[in-house]
Amino acid sequence: MWQRETFKKIKQIPREEHVMPGTALCAGCGGLEALRLAAKVLGDHVVYVNAAGCFTMLAAYPYSSFKGSWLYTTMGSAPAGAQGIRDALDVLIAKRRLPKSEDLKVIVLGGDGSTYDMALSATSGAMNRQLDFYYICYDNEAYGNTGMQLSPATPYAARTATSPCSLQHPAATMQEKKDIFEIWRAHRPPYIATVAPRYPLDLEEKFARAATFTGPKMFLALAACPTGWLYDPGATPEVAKLAVETGLWPLKEAVNGVVTHTYIPKRKPVEAYLRLQGRFRHLFEPTVQTDAIRHIQERVDAYWQQAAQEQA
Amino acid sequence: MVAVRFHGRGGQGAKTASRILGTAAFLSGYVAQDSPIYGAERRGAPVAAFTRFSREPIRERGAITYPDVIVVADASLLDDATARVVDGMDDQTVLFVNSSLSTDALRAHLSLPEQMTVRDVTGIALQQLGQREAISALLGAVAARLVGLEWESVRLAITRELQDLAVTAPVIEKNLTVAKQCYDSSGPASLHKGRSQAISVAALHRPIYEPPTKGTARISAAGNSVLRETGGWRTFRPVLFADKCNGCWLCFAYCPDGVIAMNQEDRPVVDYAHCKGCQICVHECPTHALVAEREAEGGVAWTAK
Repeated sequence: MWQRETFKKIKQIPREEHVMPGTALCAGCGGLEALRLAAKVLGDHVVYVNAAGCFTMLAAYPYSSFKGSWLYTTMGSAPAGAQGIRDALDVLIAKRRLPKSEDLKVIVLGGDGSTYDMALSATSGAMNRQLDFYYICYDNEAYGNTGMQLSPATPYAARTATSPCSLQHPAATMQEKKDIFEIWRAHRPPYIATVAPRYPLDLEEKFARAATFTGPKMFLALAACPTGWLYDPGATPEVAKLAVETGLWPLKEAVNGVVTHTYIPKRKPVEAYLRLQGRFRHLFEPTVQTDAIRHIQERVDAYWQQAAQEQA
Repeated sequence: MVAVRFHGRGGQGAKTASRILGTAAFLSGYVAQDSPIYGAERRGAPVAAFTRFSREPIRERGAITYPDVIVVADASLLDDATARVVDGMDDQTVLFVNSSLSTDALRAHLSLPEQMTVRDVTGIALQQLGQREAISALLGAVAARLVGLEWESVRLAITRELQDLAVTAPVIEKNLTVAKQCYDSSGPASLHKGRSQAISVAALHRPIYEPPTKGTARISAAGNSVLRETGGWRTFRPVLFADKCNGCWLCFAYCPDGVIAMNQEDRPVVDYAHCKGCQICVHECPTHALVAEREAEGGVAWTAK
């Protein structure tokens, strides 16, 4: 049974803020919430390497919301940028031009478009080279910054700007969400975890645990997205909670490739999650698309069945 | 040609309103064009959208510099220099402002044109639709009335545009009822047509590119985003009833922008200069100690210091 060791109570969440307000990110951004909580553990001695995406707006000239450093890269090259910074820091420390105490953590921030799609090869390379860095993917399941176009992270039956409902495809997209966790795990980085902003202690604990490893530390954060998923911004925690409680977003970690689920949901019917969001409204109105909903439920059931078997 | 510029906050429906107007004009037999500004169109952030229509083919593209009509979905934008609501406005411009304030109150600190209508469309939406910020159909209807389009094409346009957004039939029906009320209770404006908007070639500048060492946008300050206030994004503000608060920290834990701090007595203190009004704290408060109150207009604006 997985247990939190560092973060047991909500009042252990550090009070200090490291991502300052005044950013142009949407009100109610689930990705920002995940980053804010993560930064409470990561601190200010960091360099964020930001792949182009929604988080670009965190440091839009002439303002930065970070007390630490920030470098902007194209969507496909953030892990390569991280390699450059890590190498530069290592060289400076080796030449004694930078005291070891002033070393910085290198952290890639990438959306799902970057992570699942454009930067996949750069990420693969960085993991293969055992680059000592953090990778935080804020996954809102579409290309959000450009107006919610389909990405490989978009789940089955989600309506996006480029996967509308049509006569041929009344349930919108037929693609299945790419399993990036398993793709990462095949590279055997020392630490991988999924997190969701509605579970702050689980999130904080995982970042605290990751700090003990050298090498790639990979995070997949659910970024519930009021703008793209079409729900009221106030419902972000509720949506994130249901993603986990229905079993659609498993909270888990993989230490040296060994997977542990950090929270076993009782698994509410997926309908509860789908109904909250405009991007799935076509599954319920004007007629209920029973087949599509059943398909989603079956995939979740199959996942947890397999997880239970592997656990046993 | 008639040029209409919409200003709103991301999520209010300014972009959809501009589409509704464009579609309505097209259905009335005009050549029409509508487009939103491309940029960081965030929920709550200032956005703009443009609609042009004419009996003749329209050669112009891009942003509307000298609009015939300006539709403002949120009065707090008038105070916001970055929203550039008053750009290109003169005595002949027709202005519509969605606000619960009176015309005189708005004129008190800004010189605004003669032809100006103020209506509390958000109030109507809250009363009749029961949703915050669902005002695209209403704004579209008002704008269409101002420029003199027939209701029938407006009705069709609203239906089509809302259908495109996967809004359900009963909700569209409700929107149409309220939009018709807004349409009927406004009057057509007298537009000064034929104002030239052509850009002279001489006014165009050739951009000068600097080498990366000189021209890269470098930020040499840490955490200076606090200088930029986002309090003006709110349409609702969270208000604390301290006697109901049990000091559970949930509002602090879930606030994405980190604008809630817990004081020594474990009570939340909201930074209203930056709170964007997402209402997560209100939704999550287990004792209902935090409640949403509609923002009084003319307060904190999105200002860059």
